[in-house]
Amino acid sequence: MGDVTLDTLLPGQVAHVVALDQAHPLRRRLLELGFIRGARIEIVRRAPLGDPLQLRLNNTDLALRAADLVGVRVRL
Amino acid sequence: MTAPAPVTPRHDPAPRHDAAACAETVARLRAHRQPRALVIGNPNTGKSTLINALAGTHLKVGNWSGVTVEKREAQLRRGDQTVHLLDLPGAYSLSPHTPEELITRTALLDEAPDVLLNVLDAGNLERNLYLTLQLLEFRVPLALALNLVDEARNKGLAVNSGVLGEELGVPVVETVGSKGMGTAELLNVTLVGAQVGHALRYPAPIETAAADLEHRMASLQTLPPHAHRYLALSLLEGDPSLRGRLNATGHAALVEAADVHRAALDAAGLDPLIEIAEARYARAGEIARRAVPQFESKLTLTERLDKLALHPVLGIPLFLGLVLLVFRLTFTVASPFVGLIGGPLQAVLSGWAVGLLGWAPLLKDIVVGAVIPGVGTVLSFLPTLLVLYLAMSFLEDSGYMARAAFLADRLMRGLGLDGRAFIPLILGFGCNVPAIYATRTLERRTDRVLVSMILPFMSCSARLPVYVIFSAALFPRAGAWIVWSMYLLGMAVAFAFAWVLRKTSLPAEGGGVLLELPPYRFPAWKVMWHHAARRTASFAKRARTTVLATVAVVWVLLSVPAVSGQAFGQVQPRQSLFGEVSQAISPVFAPLGFGSWQATGALVPGFIAKEVVVGTLGQIYLGEQAVKAAPLGLLAGLTQAALGTWDALKTSVQSLPGIVSLPSFGADTSTELKSPLAAALGQAFTPAGGLAYLVFILLYTPCVATIGALQAEHGRRVAWLTVAYELAIAWVAAFAVYQVARHLL
Repeated sequence: MGDVTLDTLLPGQVAHVVALDQAHPLRRRLLELGFIRGARIEIVRRAPLGDPLQLRLNNTDLALRAADLVGVRVRL
Repeated sequence: MTAPAPVTPRHDPAPRHDAAACAETVARLRAHRQPRALVIGNPNTGKSTLINALAGTHLKVGNWSGVTVEKREAQLRRGDQTVHLLDLPGAYSLSPHTPEELITRTALLDEAPDVLLNVLDAGNLERNLYLTLQLLEFRVPLALALNLVDEARNKGLAVNSGVLGEELGVPVVETVGSKGMGTAELLNVTLVGAQVGHALRYPAPIETAAADLEHRMASLQTLPPHAHRYLALSLLEGDPSLRGRLNATGHAALVEAADVHRAALDAAGLDPLIEIAEARYARAGEIARRAVPQFESKLTLTERLDKLALHPVLGIPLFLGLVLLVFRLTFTVASPFVGLIGGPLQAVLSGWAVGLLGWAPLLKDIVVGAVIPGVGTVLSFLPTLLVLYLAMSFLEDSGYMARAAFLADRLMRGLGLDGRAFIPLILGFGCNVPAIYATRTLERRTDRVLVSMILPFMSCSARLPVYVIFSAALFPRAGAWIVWSMYLLGMAVAFAFAWVLRKTSLPAEGGGVLLELPPYRFPAWKVMWHHAARRTASFAKRARTTVLATVAVVWVLLSVPAVSGQAFGQVQPRQSLFGEVSQAISPVFAPLGFGSWQATGALVPGFIAKEVVVGTLGQIYLGEQAVKAAPLGLLAGLTQAALGTWDALKTSVQSLPGIVSLPSFGADTSTELKSPLAAALGQAFTPAGGLAYLVFILLYTPCVATIGALQAEHGRRVAWLTVAYELAIAWVAAFAVYQVARHLL
């Protein structure tokens, strides 16, 4: 209920992680970086060419492609 | 009365490691005469700068065997102990994803560390603690360096290092590497105060499974006891590279046992990977909240700079402007020194050699004809490389390179590459050599090889003079357009070649793309200088054999007379073996519109260094003799060298203000117009043939220095395959251009 995938968020929006897809190619890496249940993620901006997106989590800035955000379920 | 409301449980401080064994490791460290310390930390924690401040001139930089990753070590004396400090590549965790992270994990398992020194970014405690909590799984004394505390304070973060140390059970020292703050205390604390801290307790089912695996390891006695708990947990997490390693070392039974546990946990609805990550972050968050009581959120400098650097409209033009600035800086600052090495300095050395070796004519010829120009060729790369490396270090260490990757990512997606691959390609416009080394930052081997193979099509600064003189000779009114079109053609060919390689031999491996955008920092000059100087020196060391050998071969070809009756070393180019060989090859180029022996001959030195093509053209077309060295006295030589150096320095400094202006090739063209060489070339080439010649020069082969770099990074096969492909592509492209152009021009 209320769950969306992270790629649907707009810059400036904040969401909390619900789960990562089992088959996400970056699953291990993202878990280590703190994409755990409840983690707060802010979409900062889109790159000028439209992709990737800049995210903020735990005071750290990361960039992920929209395609890799599809596998991250979040709650607003 | 009912039971009291549950109090939030403080972290259970009971040690997870055997207390007696812990005490023993601490006692051993203190008594050890030559303890080994491993330095570990996340990327971008200022670790290199801190180690530089700690070790100073004792720092030795080498390479890890088998991979081209820097190995930084230092021996430091403290009292009667000599510490062997080993700085490991930055890692976010001990489950390796890149070759660099693998080195860090391997060292922890195999290097028998006596103590671990963990460097943390005080401004980013929570994420840094993830690695710390992993290090606490090892039964090895640990000390923490809470680095960048000044930067954290500016961000409004005041970390209480006492609380941090209490929570973890290990000593913490606050440091600022760039100011050398806390380094002396850090060394002391590492050796005297380090403790085996409080390892984290995971949910009971995980702990039970881990205990079973640890028990199995204890009876095996083949795995380092200090790592048993870490190994057990990583196996439960299903770390693929660790499974591979254990299977290969005869521990398949252990891996199987771990799989049984994993299956059981999974059946119970527990994914150990998630459980462990969540437990670590929960604990890291808890510690961070206790250790950082006040936190006022401020708009940081990084956020403000990113508003500009990543601006939807201004971001990309700003990036292009910076790139242009770097190349102009490289070109203007370095080229007077390149000229100095190739001109006055070589003349002086040759003069001395002629004077000193008059008694041995053959030896003199070898020294003057092959050794000095060979060494000179290697050296003439150094000013360009040093300036380019300095600029690159600045962009890297400041955090801007990561933004460039972010901006360019979308462009590279079509080739199955990510934004980081764009950086080596851009560097290639300056010089291909550092660009090849820069491919190291890419995660996948196929990507590194792919980018390296297409790199030589990026027209490096040394090729520019050839374009300029030919456009002056043949296209006086369209010079600038010709030059620009060469750059564009190079890029187009590079991308097309990459596409073909992807379809045939180097398929994209897929997988997600994750870029880090570290905070902006002002780089420490000392560290930048060290990096740049060492990378430059390492180029000289690696490439010298290839370059010297090639120069020697060309010299021999030029010296051996092909016509009888002439003495060795006394022949005109046409009558030498070189002339003969060029003549023999030249029909190959007839369909391209430049089948003369002269045009062919000038291509050969371009194989050594593109800088010398114009000089050779002059030698051949104008019959200019190679500068005949006259004997020179010691004093006269020194004066000449000093004057030359002064001139180069002056020119370099004077041209600095000009680098911010927009580039214009028009001006260069008009001055070259009057040169006799341009006139001679105008006679010798048809416009279509000249254009085809430029296309060939652009594409035909990497110079030997680049081939040396390719070989060092990816092996002989890739290096020579690249040469072969590029010769073929150059021929086809030049043929096509000539056939089209001769009907149009």
